[in-house]
Amino acid sequence: MGRIEFHNVTKRYPSGFNALKDVSLAFEEGSMWFLTGHSGAGKTTLLKLLLCVTPPTQGQIRVNDVNISQLNARNLRYYRQHLGTVFQDHNLLTARTVFDNVALPLRVHGMSERDLGKRVRAALTRVGLLQRESLLPTQLSVGEQQRVGIARAVVSRPKILLADEPTGNLDPELSRDIMALFQQFNQAGATVIVASHDRNLIRSMDKPVVELSHGEVAYGDAHAA
Amino acid sequence: MSGKRPTSPWPPPPRRSSWRRDHHRVLQDVLDFTSNRVATSLLVWTLVGIALALPASLMLAQSNLSRLTADWGGRPGISVYFELGAKDAPLLAVRLEEQPEVESVQLTTQDDALREFLAYTNLHEALADLETNPLPASLRVTFRVDADLSALEAEATRLRQENGVAEVVVERTWLQRINVAGRLAQRLGIVMGALFAVGAVLITSTTVRLAIEAQLDELKVMKLVGASNAQIRRPFLYFGAFYGAGGGLFAAMLVSIALLILEAPLRELLGSFNETLELHGFDFRFVLGLFATGAALGIVGAMLAVRQRLSRLDVL
Repeated sequence: MGRIEFHNVTKRYPSGFNALKDVSLAFEEGSMWFLTGHSGAGKTTLLKLLLCVTPPTQGQIRVNDVNISQLNARNLRYYRQHLGTVFQDHNLLTARTVFDNVALPLRVHGMSERDLGKRVRAALTRVGLLQRESLLPTQLSVGEQQRVGIARAVVSRPKILLADEPTGNLDPELSRDIMALFQQFNQAGATVIVASHDRNLIRSMDKPVVELSHGEVAYGDAHAA
Repeated sequence: MSGKRPTSPWPPPPRRSSWRRDHHRVLQDVLDFTSNRVATSLLVWTLVGIALALPASLMLAQSNLSRLTADWGGRPGISVYFELGAKDAPLLAVRLEEQPEVESVQLTTQDDALREFLAYTNLHEALADLETNPLPASLRVTFRVDADLSALEAEATRLRQENGVAEVVVERTWLQRINVAGRLAQRLGIVMGALFAVGAVLITSTTVRLAIEAQLDELKVMKLVGASNAQIRRPFLYFGAFYGAGGGLFAAMLVSIALLILEAPLRELLGSFNETLELHGFDFRFVLGLFATGAALGIVGAMLAVRQRLSRLDVL
């Protein structure tokens, strides 16, 4: 699982706003992409469509040749278990420790506490926060909170990693560290799509880019699906 | 950002856990959540407890009234009160004892009646000022269990014609009134039980809805990482069961306190009818029933809250 195709996808919200207009894209399995564009260009909508939190108004989104808009509840669960998502605002649970935040996907997947402990600590080691596992997110800096979000996104070994402005609140050095992490996950086989408006950072990564403008593909290395 | 990095960024593959472990985890979470909100938990237990205690008390009262009247109903009787100074009571007692449908005759002379009266009251000084004993002699006639009740009325009519008899009371009459009161208590218990059950469901439903709101962020993340609807619902069903079952135990405690308060006057009341207080029904099964009823109502309330709130859950 990893090839992603958008076939003439349009997303119109109930307010009448067209967030995406007839978008066709293909992301190959195991590739890493940047999605850029101005605010309101449709980056977040494209990621939401991939997460199946909202359906497309027209067109199809196929992952490994399966139309994800038509997944039943059980298959949707299964599909989401293979996704990792990093949010700009972290979406961390403030009443849970760093360990519990990262462990959440594994608990949902039903892993035993012993195996789960190993996996969570391995993920925290990857993001350099092993010593902070018993702290609450509110006791961490913004950069550390973002890294907890990344650890939670990758702990279940997702086949597709989606990140929405993951470096929005971070300084350039920390942003590069986080991008290096994404690159490592990509090298390990995951398809990675990062939405970002930081053009300097994108240029420094030397990865293919899709630029959205007013819901349409303005520029893109991604193949037309 | 970290020291030594492994070759692969992916940790080892997961192993599936059992259904039991997941429930254990949820139970632990629910206990943590509720123990961190002791005041709320106590409030909910109290409200659910009161809602369950009232119908449970009525049902207990009805059950005991039925038992009491059944006991008395099996021993129909007539009380015969004599005029003051009448000497016919012992003779009539002997005649009645010879009748085949009569099981026993208890004679209470004027002196016996006075002694009993003094034993139950503190009116020694007032009675000492009276020149004569104002209490009549009486007979308590107990009929066999299989005695014909219509014959009882006929016997009462006949006894009213006897010399010296002032009044004859067929005890069936007030037994019937108690039976009616028992049936009323039973119906009242059913109606109140239904109303208060709805109340208990609404209380737990509201509380669980608040718990859902408090954990909304977690639920959204759980949905995003592929949690099933059962996994999303599970903690809240546990909440409902926990609050409901706790309310059931609280109700048992309230009923027990009420019984302690009512025990002395009840004992006195029954003693005046030569009966002893033997409360039936308030036992382990009763407490278990309240516990289970509370838990079931709590789960129903939680299911309502979960269905209403989670159907409108926007993941992002």
